[in-house]
Amino acid sequence: MVSSTDREILRAEIRSRGDKLNATDRESLLKPYLPDPADLAPANASANSPRRSRAGTTSSQRRQKPRKKPIRTFLKSQLHRFTYAITHIFFGIVVRLLQAYHAVVDRVFAIVYHHHRTPELIRKDVRGLKRLPEHLSVILTLHKEDDALAVLMDEVAELAAWSASAGIPQLSVYEKSGVLKSCIPALHQIISTKLASYFGTPSQQPSLQLFAPHHPVYGTAPNPKSDNPSLTLLLLSSTDGRETIVDLTKTLAEMSQNGKLSPEDITPELVDAEISEITTRPLQAGGRAASPMKPEPDLLLVFGPFLKLDGYPPWQIRLTEMYCTGDRNHGMIGYGEAVEYQGFMRGLWHYAGAQMRFGR
Amino acid sequence: MAGSMHLSRLRTWFLASPPIEFAITNLKELLVGALRQGPIPQHVAFVMDGNRRFARSHGIETVEGHNLGFEALARILEVCYKSGVKVVTIYAFSIENFKRSKFEVDALMDMAKVKLSQMAQHGDLLDRYGAKVRVLGRLDLLKPDVLAAVNKAVDLTSRNGDRVLNICFPYTSRDEITGAIRDTVEDYSTPLRPARTPFSESHIVHNIRAQTLGSSNPQDTHSDSEYSSAESSAHEDDPVLRNDHASRVYESGSSFSSSTTLHLGGQDGHHKGAAAVNTSDGDSPVYMSPETISRQTLTDHMLTKGTPPLDMLVRTSGVERLSDFMLWQCHENTEIVFLDVLWPEFDLWHFLPVLIGWQRRISKSRQNPNAEGNFAGDSPETSEEDMDGMALRQSKVKAI
Repeated sequence: MVSSTDREILRAEIRSRGDKLNATDRESLLKPYLPDPADLAPANASANSPRRSRAGTTSSQRRQKPRKKPIRTFLKSQLHRFTYAITHIFFGIVVRLLQAYHAVVDRVFAIVYHHHRTPELIRKDVRGLKRLPEHLSVILTLHKEDDALAVLMDEVAELAAWSASAGIPQLSVYEKSGVLKSCIPALHQIISTKLASYFGTPSQQPSLQLFAPHHPVYGTAPNPKSDNPSLTLLLLSSTDGRETIVDLTKTLAEMSQNGKLSPEDITPELVDAEISEITTRPLQAGGRAASPMKPEPDLLLVFGPFLKLDGYPPWQIRLTEMYCTGDRNHGMIGYGEAVEYQGFMRGLWHYAGAQMRFGR
Repeated sequence: MAGSMHLSRLRTWFLASPPIEFAITNLKELLVGALRQGPIPQHVAFVMDGNRRFARSHGIETVEGHNLGFEALARILEVCYKSGVKVVTIYAFSIENFKRSKFEVDALMDMAKVKLSQMAQHGDLLDRYGAKVRVLGRLDLLKPDVLAAVNKAVDLTSRNGDRVLNICFPYTSRDEITGAIRDTVEDYSTPLRPARTPFSESHIVHNIRAQTLGSSNPQDTHSDSEYSSAESSAHEDDPVLRNDHASRVYESGSSFSSSTTLHLGGQDGHHKGAAAVNTSDGDSPVYMSPETISRQTLTDHMLTKGTPPLDMLVRTSGVERLSDFMLWQCHENTEIVFLDVLWPEFDLWHFLPVLIGWQRRISKSRQNPNAEGNFAGDSPETSEEDMDGMALRQSKVKAI
């Protein structure tokens, strides 16, 4: 809210590397933009009493002010309250209009881009893209209904099928409570069924490996001879985030107390190696070789109304691109949370820097 | 091309004409005042991205772009602080940025130095209006002259009011987390001095033994006075702790191997008191138990310690990555917003919809805390703080 002439003076000052104006010049330039000291005095009177007395030296002014100000303050606050209400009503209308528009667009997309459970169609949808994420990560939420777990597992299965069809070899699924980790065999069963419905006979199905940090790998190792795509699925929960870093700190502290390590040895590289290990190298079960995961996801899809990480492991997302499927709805609750194929596709297209169009 | 040039000049002339300028200024004031009526995020972080691209697309020097970015920062800080945001954190310079051209790095450093030293010249004004400036990051990577300017500005503003400006100067979040881990480990591997507990355990054991033996020695009265002082000091703590203390003493009287029980007792309490006290003083160093390290311990060792939780993170220029910024702070309840606008163009008009959307959601989730996808529902602390902030603000409004 600086006037243009003052801005010009400031720019000239910057151009000369800060030696054109001296301190007093700058202060006089600044003066009109500063609030009245008297306004500030009551706010921090308790903190700084001598300042208040300085402000109070013009006692005649001060005596006038209490008489004048209440009405003005009242009117001003009423005006602000009114404006607040108006802006929010206006914003609400705009958001609802946008929401309606996007709902229609999304339905059209959902019809035009439908996978029909055909991997070929999905592959065709991603063929034109410049790049595909090697490691895709999604944030899902467990809803509160009775069949929430079944719905969640079905969503995971769908996502696994889409990823396998699109040719994304690594998928990690984050769900805050970690309920998925407790039912890995059942989840594997559901995903296998889903893959069968997409790919047909077991010989054509992609090999599926399922694991979670501190859990053994579940599933068959990819057959190097077959050219079927393979999919590694990693299950994450909020304990893999801060908790893991805390655990690492505990271990390091113990080592340091026993004199096995000096605090100077703790470098980002060390922490990175340790933190990455638990999500990349699954525990070997029965001598099967598991393919290592890429520790940092390339793309993070958030199926929710707005972008909130909700406890997602912080260390790994340094350079991850993020995409929120409900982002265009200005965070309205109750929309954009469904895991839909068109949302998944939109994320992939966005990642590749492309725009989705009507008509394949 | 020429037509658009004329048009844009006409537009600037129109916007700069006094009546229009006056109207826009008042409109902005009104909107900011209106924003204050609702909930306001307490801590906002900005990634100021797009200065270079702005410079390139407008055909000006990169350094000019950064200067315009600084103006945008001043603009947005004004909006933030006027609308009631307590802490603003900005990503000014990444450790990775040292890899950029020397010319640009030098220019950025120069700019920081000039701005910070200019700030230092206005001590009086800063005292009255300024925010606390804190510089987060690897200060050891800075040149001495820049470092001196940084220290001066930080010192000068350290006594200022409740508004804080965090400048992440040579900063990456992984470095910050590593630093926090390192500091925690260092804290936990410095031996506790036996003087941490006011009395020597073995001394007390000795006294009790002497008492039970019934031999009256001149130390008896001495130990009594010690005991009463212990009681009086323990009165200040909570009674549970006192009982704990008392039982510890007696236990150590009955059984000599007190180290394990003491250890467990410490763990039940909070982490400060968790000292694995050894009965044989000074033989091996005594440490705090690493099991007492919690998320909070690490949070308290982050560079942003003492600030309210991050409510919102805004990144401009349409790049949808965090780029190693505030990873620890923003991965829980922070709303992350990516805006498709270059930082030098960033203004109230881009920020307003974001803020209004946030206000909407917060007030919705307060009305209906069980709704799914709500924002502050599962962290009562933040909402309480918000409420506190609101109450504070209301009282301020009344006071004014």
